[in-house]
Amino acid sequence: MNDRPILSVTGLSARVADEDPDILKGVNLAIRPGEIHAIMGPNGSGKSTLAKVISGHPGYEATAGAVVYQGEDLLEMEPDERAQAGVFIAFQYPVAIPGVSIANFLRTALQARLEDGEELDLFEFQELLMERMELLQMDPSFVQRSLNDGFSGGEKKRNEILQMAVLNPTLAVMDETDSGLDIDALKVVAHGVNALKAENPAMSVLLITHYQRMLNYITPDVVHVMVKGRIVESGGPEVALGLEEQGYEKYRRAQVA
Amino acid sequence: MAPPRERAARALNRDAVLETGLADPAWLKARREEAWDLYVATPLPSTRSEEWRYTDVGRLLPLDGLEPNLEGAGGAPDGDLVPGVGGPSRGTVPDGLLRTMAHDPASSGRVVDVDGHVVSVELDAALAAQGVVLCSLREAARSGDPVVEELLATRAVPASEGKFPALNAALWTDGVFLRVPKGVRLDEPIRLSRWVSRPGTATFTRILIVAEEFSQVSFVDEITSPDFESTTLANTAVELFSRGGAQVQYVSLQRMGRGGFYLATQRTLAERDSTLDTLNVALGGSVGRVDLNARLLGPGANSDMLGLYFGDEDQHFDFNTSQDHVAPDAHSDLLYKGALDGSARGVFRGIIRVHEGAQRTDAYQTNRNLILSDDAVATSLPNLEIGADDVRCSHGATVGQLDAESLFYLMSRGLDREQAERLVVLGFLGEVLDRLPLGGVTEKVTRAIRAKLRHLHG
Ligand SMILES: Nc1ncnc2c1ncn2[C@@H]1O[C@H](COP(=O)(O)OP(=O)(O)O)[C@@H](O)[C@H]1O
Ligand SMILES: [Mg+2]
Repeated sequence: MNDRPILSVTGLSARVADEDPDILKGVNLAIRPGEIHAIMGPNGSGKSTLAKVISGHPGYEATAGAVVYQGEDLLEMEPDERAQAGVFIAFQYPVAIPGVSIANFLRTALQARLEDGEELDLFEFQELLMERMELLQMDPSFVQRSLNDGFSGGEKKRNEILQMAVLNPTLAVMDETDSGLDIDALKVVAHGVNALKAENPAMSVLLITHYQRMLNYITPDVVHVMVKGRIVESGGPEVALGLEEQGYEKYRRAQVA
Repeated sequence: MAPPRERAARALNRDAVLETGLADPAWLKARREEAWDLYVATPLPSTRSEEWRYTDVGRLLPLDGLEPNLEGAGGAPDGDLVPGVGGPSRGTVPDGLLRTMAHDPASSGRVVDVDGHVVSVELDAALAAQGVVLCSLREAARSGDPVVEELLATRAVPASEGKFPALNAALWTDGVFLRVPKGVRLDEPIRLSRWVSRPGTATFTRILIVAEEFSQVSFVDEITSPDFESTTLANTAVELFSRGGAQVQYVSLQRMGRGGFYLATQRTLAERDSTLDTLNVALGGSVGRVDLNARLLGPGANSDMLGLYFGDEDQHFDFNTSQDHVAPDAHSDLLYKGALDGSARGVFRGIIRVHEGAQRTDAYQTNRNLILSDDAVATSLPNLEIGADDVRCSHGATVGQLDAESLFYLMSRGLDREQAERLVVLGFLGEVLDRLPLGGVTEKVTRAIRAKLRHLHG
């Protein structure tokens, strides 16, 4: 595989826009094409903040460091430009948008990628949508519902992954996709992600999770541990297994010391 | 038939009343003259009155300069139209109107009205055979149908209702009479397609619908026009009666061009166990004012009252609604949603009145506004007046901006800001249409909203 990182985060500090203090305090991370990285860490350690900074959420701002995606300064790009460039975030808490159906929205999103004057082939779109829903074992009527409106926690997560499957990103950040999914749903989603990965081996994944559970089904190349806004350890899958046994206690102690 | 007078000499005056009523039966002539007297005696609503506080009609509507549209299309006199026969022909129906009508799906019947004069009426032959009456209101009034004499401008929108109802009762030129006999159900809507062509004129139209016991009918009243250089009034009085167990839906699609001043008075009278739903869609014109009063007259009566408005540039929409729960055990549910861009203004003023003895009333009222620009303004004045103790009522109003989280979420999937805004606005307004899925209406309104959204933020 190519050695040049698709995403490199260096010395990234970030905070809620205009609000001290920094939540991220110098994060370093490099993901190469096709790699799967996991970030684990206790609640409140800054995992979602990292995901949101990568997505371009206007509520957060970088105060130091850089995020380079495919050789470009990601922090300078608008959220839609990032998406157009292949960045996808499966959010931990996706918002509900009443009246906007999933199908309509995805059609618009795909159309938005085309050159001016080019029209999305609606038949092909329908086929793709059906195929992706089948992959994720979703009912076809699902896409007629309004985005996340009245969805259960599990439905929201599946909806995020459905979007990911349709938009076919180059870099997918999955923020706690596993929470809210029961074990059967988790297996379906993990299977879906693996299938996408098989289809597009160059897709890189940053998998944010609180638990080892998800990593039983999606095998990471690298596991990072984030505590209090810093990555305190990086290693292979064994890091995750160690966490499962000992928890985050040792990192917490190390930080206090 | 009097010789047509010089156009320039025509104005909203007693002569016009006499001329309009020339071929009318005596009772109607008398009603017109009485209405004119009331009009003259009634002061123009001023912004000092609660109900007109935000619409300065004296400033916005140059009543003295308006010319009544007394003649039919092309100056042809009225009276030759045979109800139930003949479809719209290209000769009499303007292209703009034909384009609007081309998008309509199946209808049980249709009426075409140009400048306040019905030019064609079509009704499904099977329905006509079952006794459904669909015709020019003018014809109906002259034909001696006792129902028309009984209900025209009497119980629903009498001249005594106010300055404009009086003016309409005096000067109306034509409109629609629809009567659905007991137990007859129409599968498809009846569509009225109205077109106003002449700038600086005033058009006075009435719609009278009587749905007898356990009948069912939906009626779509669409008005369109070109843009006008000078203020052009389309005044409408809508009288809707649903008898016991009947189901009626009335939809008003206001899609006039700029310069259009749409002024409608709508009254719905729902008897026992009947349903009388309304949907007011305001997209066009420069000013739109709708006075809607829903009366729940019998136990089990139900009215869903829906409204959708989308203003841009300097459009001004004003809705004044009331839900009168006269009988106990009735239900009404109002939802008006509006989006305002440019320097548009939206006004919603609504009141739920639970009359004494109207126990177990269920009445709801919600108005939601989405402000899309710094200069747009929404005013929302919900109100309750409760004269019974065992009721369930609620009212709520919101005025908000586009939700930043929603926009961000859509943008994070690759939509640019404008695309994201369009989707959110369409979704916001679409909730209203979802509540009243009526053949062709949702598609048509959605298309019109999309067209307006292409010019979001000017
Ligand atoms: N929008 C916000 N406003 C205020 N505090 C925030 C906001 N986002 C994150 N935080 C704070 O930053 C810290 C990290 O949060 P987060 O990134 O969500 O952690 P994680 O995803 O690891 O649980 C927490 O203390 C959280 O309360
Ligand atoms: Mg989180």
